[in-house]
Amino acid sequence: MDQLIVSLMNGIVYGLLLFMVSAGLTLIFGMMGVLNFAHASFYMLGAYFAYSLQGVIGFWPAVIASPLLVGVIGVVVERFFLRRVHHHGHAHELLLTFGLSFIIAESIKLFFGNFPVDYRIPAALDVPAFSLGGAQYPAYRLVMGGIAIAMFVAIYLLLTRTRVGIVVRSAIYKPRMAEALGHNVPLVFMGVFGVGAALAGLAGAVAGAFYTTNPNMALELGVMVFVVVVVGGLGSLGGAMLASLLIGVITSLAVGIDRSLADLLALFGASDWARGVGGLLTLKVSSLSATIPFALMLLILLVRPGGLMGEKG
Amino acid sequence: MHTLATFPSAMACTLGLLCFGASAAPVKIGVLETLSGPQASSGQAYRTAVRFAVDQINAAGGWNGEPVQLLEYDNQGGPAGAADKLKAAAADGVQLIVQGASSAIGGQITEDVRKHNLRNPGKEIIYINVGAEALELTGEKCNFHHFRFSGDAQIRTKALVSAMKQANALGTRVYAINQNYSWGQDMERAISDNAAAGGYQVVEKTLHDVNKVQDFAPYVAKISASKADSVLTGNWSNDLLLLMKASKSAGLKVRFGTVFLDQPGNLANAGDLAVGHFVAHTFNAEAGGAEGERFVNEYKAKTGHAPAFIEPQTVFGMAMVADALKRTRPEGGVLNVNALARAIETAKIKTPMGEMSMRAADHQVQMPIVVSTVSKDARYKADDTDMGFKPVKRFSAEEASTPAQSSCAMKRPA
Repeated sequence: MDQLIVSLMNGIVYGLLLFMVSAGLTLIFGMMGVLNFAHASFYMLGAYFAYSLQGVIGFWPAVIASPLLVGVIGVVVERFFLRRVHHHGHAHELLLTFGLSFIIAESIKLFFGNFPVDYRIPAALDVPAFSLGGAQYPAYRLVMGGIAIAMFVAIYLLLTRTRVGIVVRSAIYKPRMAEALGHNVPLVFMGVFGVGAALAGLAGAVAGAFYTTNPNMALELGVMVFVVVVVGGLGSLGGAMLASLLIGVITSLAVGIDRSLADLLALFGASDWARGVGGLLTLKVSSLSATIPFALMLLILLVRPGGLMGEKG
Repeated sequence: MHTLATFPSAMACTLGLLCFGASAAPVKIGVLETLSGPQASSGQAYRTAVRFAVDQINAAGGWNGEPVQLLEYDNQGGPAGAADKLKAAAADGVQLIVQGASSAIGGQITEDVRKHNLRNPGKEIIYINVGAEALELTGEKCNFHHFRFSGDAQIRTKALVSAMKQANALGTRVYAINQNYSWGQDMERAISDNAAAGGYQVVEKTLHDVNKVQDFAPYVAKISASKADSVLTGNWSNDLLLLMKASKSAGLKVRFGTVFLDQPGNLANAGDLAVGHFVAHTFNAEAGGAEGERFVNEYKAKTGHAPAFIEPQTVFGMAMVADALKRTRPEGGVLNVNALARAIETAKIKTPMGEMSMRAADHQVQMPIVVSTVSKDARYKADDTDMGFKPVKRFSAEEASTPAQSSCAMKRPA
């Protein structure tokens, strides 16, 4: 029982982290129609900026400053790169962000080397929050989860309850009309892109310390983030939250299941046959836990191509 | 800068038969490593070590009065790229292929080399394997033109278990967690095989996806529930770091026995939590005494950093090749590759770690293994931290050796 609770909590916090990164991606896509391949690179930049700054200004100020810096980079990318290729269509924007992700990864290697850097959570936070069933639960995981939830609430309120949110949503929905009413639509797009990048940067600054900060972190998380956005529905913030939690909890629980398809077939007396066949039938669920999200994505694409909460579902 | 220096020689050779058709053909060594992409860091480390070793061969006069040429090929991190570049290397007249990172790529190369040699008698290629440790390479896939100059799961686990047991750090309940591919599966089997010798019980075995898991907390919850005393793992890179970090933050009191904890960056990133854990590796400067210090200084002077991780084993492996080259006479100015392979079979050198020789039966090197523990009293610090690897026990080549696999049926050329 204790182990189940710990597994659930692990899954939820990991899911919340996934949400932090995918929120910006889905926001940018939903608002601007740009599938940003460089998004996970912003996550990596956030971690490296926080790592560089923490020695000078301390951990928490670095966690705050680093997303701002990443946001500025996002603004620059939108203003001077994306906007120029915008009228060529989405394929060009996609290629641009794809190229950008390589440039960022290689620059990181150039400045910080090939190996993980020494970015760790401060000793004051490196304490257990509580003990459950003989294992301690790290306080920092709770902090990460808390930040993610605060972020979700803040974005949600901003978009649905404020004037800024109304302008942003109208600029997305009917850009020409919003422009005719005197709103600066390009500025809105730039702002959305910057905020999206900053959110990824925040996730990087927070998670980079807990996991590892290395030049491959964008690649490692990037794929999973795309899975989240596809499962949740491109452009849907609530969908991203739902999908993140789902994927987090499923991967976490799957680790504890040492059963294979052969065990299932044993219920029908076909166990010997299944073990004879081997291959997929005898693979333990636990060894597949990191692959399950991809199977889930496949399933979603088959039965509900728009995603769980996508508009065109 | 290094790339620029070697580029002209590679160019000259690709420009045709200029360097092959000349009366005395130089020996060409091709490094076929992952030099770009996410896994480039270990590929580049292998390259640095091979460059160092080739420079040494050339400083000693090269072969047949000519410097040995080093060509570099980027396999782009996968077997498909490796197969492509191997063809390019064969076309360039490379006689020795050096590779180490990734057993998957190693498996591709050894098969391709075997087929190439069947089809092109007289133009054979030797595969110098300096780090692909999958058992099958010296087992069912073993062939006359493949030589492994590093350990394998059985060798490393045997040493690790025996040293940890002597140091009273093993306990009686061991958890095996490994990556789900040839290497990790070999490790899992080796950990079970050594249970009797180590006096422990394998309480649980876990295989997980390779370099895909970001959050190891669920695995740590499982380890914690199993009440294990120690965790033995063949994990490398992020899979090792994240696992150890997750155990630390869950307050898990287990001892880790690892194989790749000495990868650069690991100690810096793990910090104090690494202290007290074990690693079975092929080189430890402190255990090597004065000779070890001399090697470290020499390597540092040439490359700018102390040899770490797979670099020493690569240098030693190449030194054995150099020893064999010295004993192979040119035939009409040209290198007879099969004669060189026979010479490698009898190669024997002294390294700072002790004597090293090649076993002809399966072409698995017999090399000393050191088991070290992370400590602040280590003489050589790693990664600019205050920690380093303190030797716990050194195993001579005979002590570390495990029997040749019966699945190896090597066909020798007549």
